[in-house]
Amino acid sequence: MKEPLNHRLGRREFLELTLGWCAAFFALSASAMAAVRFMIPNVLYEPDRRFKALKPEDYPEGATFIPETRVFLLRKGNSFRAVSAVCTHLGCTVNQSPDRKGFHCPCHGSQFDENASVVGGPAPHGLPWLLVAQSPDGRIVIDASQQVKADKYLVI
Amino acid sequence: MSEPSLRPWYPWFTFLAFVLGLLVTTVFFKDQFREWKKWQNAYIKQEMAKATTAEQREAAAHIPIEIKQIVLPGLGRVDRCITCHVAVEDPSYAGLKQPLAYHVNHSQHPFEKFGCTVCHQGQGLATTKEAAHGNVPHWDRPMLPLNFLEASCAKCHTADELADAPKLAQGQAAFDKFGCIGCHKLQGRGGNVGPELDAVGARRSPEWLARHFKNPSKLVPGSAMPHFQMSDDEIAALTLYMLGQTGEHLSDYYVSMKTIPSADSGRRLFQERGCIGCHSVAKKGGVIGPALDDVSKRRTGKWIVDHFKDPQSVSPGSVMPKFGFTEQEIRALTAFLVSLSDPNVVGFLKVPSELTSIERGHTVFTKYGCAGCHNQDGNGGIPNPNAKTAEQVPSLKYVAEGYTKDELKKFIMNGQREIAMKDPSRPPPPLYMPAWKTRIPEGELDDLVDYLISLMPKDEKTSF
Amino acid sequence: MFQNLFKSIAANRVIRSIFRVGVPRSNLQRAQAAISSFLLHVQPAKVHKNVLKFRTTLGLGLITLYLFIILVVTGILLMFYYVPSTEHAYQDMKDLEFVVTAGLVLRNMHRWSAHLMVIFVILHLCRVFYTGAYKAPREFNWVIGVGLFLVTLGLSFTGYLLPWDQLAFWAVTVGTSIAGYAPVVGNKIKYMLLGGNIVGQSALLRFYVLHVIVLPSIAFFMISVHLFRVRKDGGLARPEEPTALQKEHILSQLPQSKTYGLMELARGTTPAVGIRQEDEVFTWPHLIFREMLLFLLVSSVVLLLAIFWNAPLEEAANAIHPPNPAKAPWYFLGLQELVAYSAFWGGVVVPTLVVTALVALPYIDRKRHGVGVWFSKERKVAITLFSICLIAAISLTVIGSLFRGPNWAFQLPWKTVPSEEFHP
Repeated sequence: MKEPLNHRLGRREFLELTLGWCAAFFALSASAMAAVRFMIPNVLYEPDRRFKALKPEDYPEGATFIPETRVFLLRKGNSFRAVSAVCTHLGCTVNQSPDRKGFHCPCHGSQFDENASVVGGPAPHGLPWLLVAQSPDGRIVIDASQQVKADKYLVI
Repeated sequence: MSEPSLRPWYPWFTFLAFVLGLLVTTVFFKDQFREWKKWQNAYIKQEMAKATTAEQREAAAHIPIEIKQIVLPGLGRVDRCITCHVAVEDPSYAGLKQPLAYHVNHSQHPFEKFGCTVCHQGQGLATTKEAAHGNVPHWDRPMLPLNFLEASCAKCHTADELADAPKLAQGQAAFDKFGCIGCHKLQGRGGNVGPELDAVGARRSPEWLARHFKNPSKLVPGSAMPHFQMSDDEIAALTLYMLGQTGEHLSDYYVSMKTIPSADSGRRLFQERGCIGCHSVAKKGGVIGPALDDVSKRRTGKWIVDHFKDPQSVSPGSVMPKFGFTEQEIRALTAFLVSLSDPNVVGFLKVPSELTSIERGHTVFTKYGCAGCHNQDGNGGIPNPNAKTAEQVPSLKYVAEGYTKDELKKFIMNGQREIAMKDPSRPPPPLYMPAWKTRIPEGELDDLVDYLISLMPKDEKTSF
Repeated sequence: MFQNLFKSIAANRVIRSIFRVGVPRSNLQRAQAAISSFLLHVQPAKVHKNVLKFRTTLGLGLITLYLFIILVVTGILLMFYYVPSTEHAYQDMKDLEFVVTAGLVLRNMHRWSAHLMVIFVILHLCRVFYTGAYKAPREFNWVIGVGLFLVTLGLSFTGYLLPWDQLAFWAVTVGTSIAGYAPVVGNKIKYMLLGGNIVGQSALLRFYVLHVIVLPSIAFFMISVHLFRVRKDGGLARPEEPTALQKEHILSQLPQSKTYGLMELARGTTPAVGIRQEDEVFTWPHLIFREMLLFLLVSSVVLLLAIFWNAPLEEAANAIHPPNPAKAPWYFLGLQELVAYSAFWGGVVVPTLVVTALVALPYIDRKRHGVGVWFSKERKVAITLFSICLIAAISLTVIGSLFRGPNWAFQLPWKTVPSEEFHP
């Protein structure tokens, strides 16, 4: 039986091949997607971005540095807010200015005012304010993954 | 040129490609429907229902659905229990059905420092109920049943330290009563006839232990352990005590956490910090601050604690400085101050030298677990198959008849490895008298011998 | 219409720059498709008809190759989560199971493919023996095959330790102890392999490096040579070797425009020389399509196993509490069974003899009959001897895996005793 080389496919064969190739392509791309999804971690072994601090009464008036999550927790009476201590320039940890009003970075001299906006140095933008909340058991929670406006306070 | 046709293979190609596509899809679906997601969705639903303000609703809607874990490098554990038990820290979930229930009373062992499995056991790494609760093959530490939970306290605490662990105390009492330490080693102390018990709680299940105490040789054929007639309560208590012996090594951090503030450490602190410079106790000390002899009658414990934290907060105008004591120190000092008003506190401790040598000897008898083989008060009756002495460990009632003090001392020191057999064709008796030479110090031995001699019933005493 | 669409896609400049030939429309293009593609040129443009017949090889070698590819892909992915440290390894297994998306399926695929690969290497070896395909000119390729068999066992054994559970720990403890029975050098080898006297951190690291770098590289190189030699030794073994006279005749019949200069350098029956034209088929599409079908089949089976059966994972490794009995991986259980009778004979003499005999086989059995024929009647003695050894090896393995209970005492597989009752 001789088969012509440049045969035209019959309807049935054409359907079989097309469906087959589609399924094979689907299987291949789904496997690739699975591999990509596999690479995205579902749990992290780094410190939690949501940091559970102490109770409100454990913090004094003014700024307290919380080293575990590199944040300044600012207390003003019964109001709390938190600002990231990670310099927006190249990631050094900023210090509180000697006058206790703003922050400055020891690495490249960036300066931030009390609202954490840039007032000097190479930093491209101000330090982000982070969401402060209270856990159901009454402790302060600082969520470094959620930025808020500078005027947002947690009022106890 | 004839060529075979490929056409018959086309349907196979289509079929196999579909099968493979289907299988890959199955992988995705299996992953999508993980058990824990159900509970996190239920939690979000409850939070939404609870929310009253728009802001709360917003917050509830933003609760991420994710595997949550507590990483505890100091304990070598990662606990993912809170992936399903999401609401353990929220008091508004108190009394609700598991897994969405509040965990009462966790302030002394905060979750982020202790996790869950250090007390409850189970498989912290797992994220399915069955595997996490640990009743699965190849996980040797399933969750402790709640009635055995106090066993976990023993990982860090002794029963004496804890007033709120009565079952653990019962367990320790049973352990002493049956003289287990006579044959078994626990935390470096004890005999060598039976196996060491340091990590027995990590190896054995509660069921195994209970069955074993009921009848040792039925579970472990040929076991030398006597068949003690324990009550069910004693079996439960001893099982719990053994479950607590896990041999886990705790890192320094947790060891430092474990100090239970006692009046004693308070007293030491009271002296070190020079409180006596301003305050007086029993007419000794300074006069700048008030005398403290009956401070606990004037003030509540909470007032004293608050006062140590910040004197101004409860006693405005006080000249006492804010010392910055730690929580532990404050509790220790408070315990000491409260104890000052107790009239028994001074005469409470009996000094050992005031006891008779027979009383001390009885303590020695208990301490080294002699009762394990010779029964309580040396009454005897513990079986020792094939021993010439009526297949029992001999009673000690009448040692005074057969031995002088020196002979008895020598016998205890050297022991007796070979026990005379009733029937030489049967296996030798499993129990024997160990040599106590290096273990019982001379002073204790004298007391013990005095005690043993005193066991002789008074009316039957004959003199040689 | 669709055909036109395909055609215009195939004619696209970018596509053309990648697939030079496009969908072949003529015999010339079919040949070019096979030759000009890096992946396809491993095979000749045309192959003998019986290559397409399933019964020639049962596809065993190709299945083994596919399993190796699946192992490499899944293995690389698993490496992203695995830390070869006694502190982390076991926890990483649990993470793969409980946390990582598709982690468990990938681990299962890796595990089952590994077991399957050992099985299929052995089946492939048997096939080559029973069809006499190791005879001249393929002697050396058989030797490489035996080497690949050993490398496969090495890969499987080194991978066995990595989960760091009780199964892994004790199987490797037992397995390396068997190596320790070799005279003079045995204990030195064991010491070097483990990087110490016991299975510990250094053993884990050594096994890991061997498993992910050293042995796969060796296997990759040897597989390349193995495939290269299949082609250079004249393709798959087949019967009806044409006599020299016939060969002469065929050569004179060939059109003068074809040159065979390079082809003739290869010894034996080269694709072009030994084959009558009417027995040839084009690799593209006939062989390629069948090979692709087999790949779909193999990956489906592996994925099916991986979805419904989980790879074993016991308690974390614990050097103090050995299971009773502690068993080596199943492919070493025949050996362990022998060692139970006599450490020296079982652990040293028999394995040495087996490997030596396998390597020497094509140089001893030099008669040229029965090539390419299953169970040829002319090779009765060789086939009987081989079969006896094979059955003995299988029986020992089955006894070792199923009929051995605590203290290596004989037991029936359906009457097992709970292990806890055995260590008071």
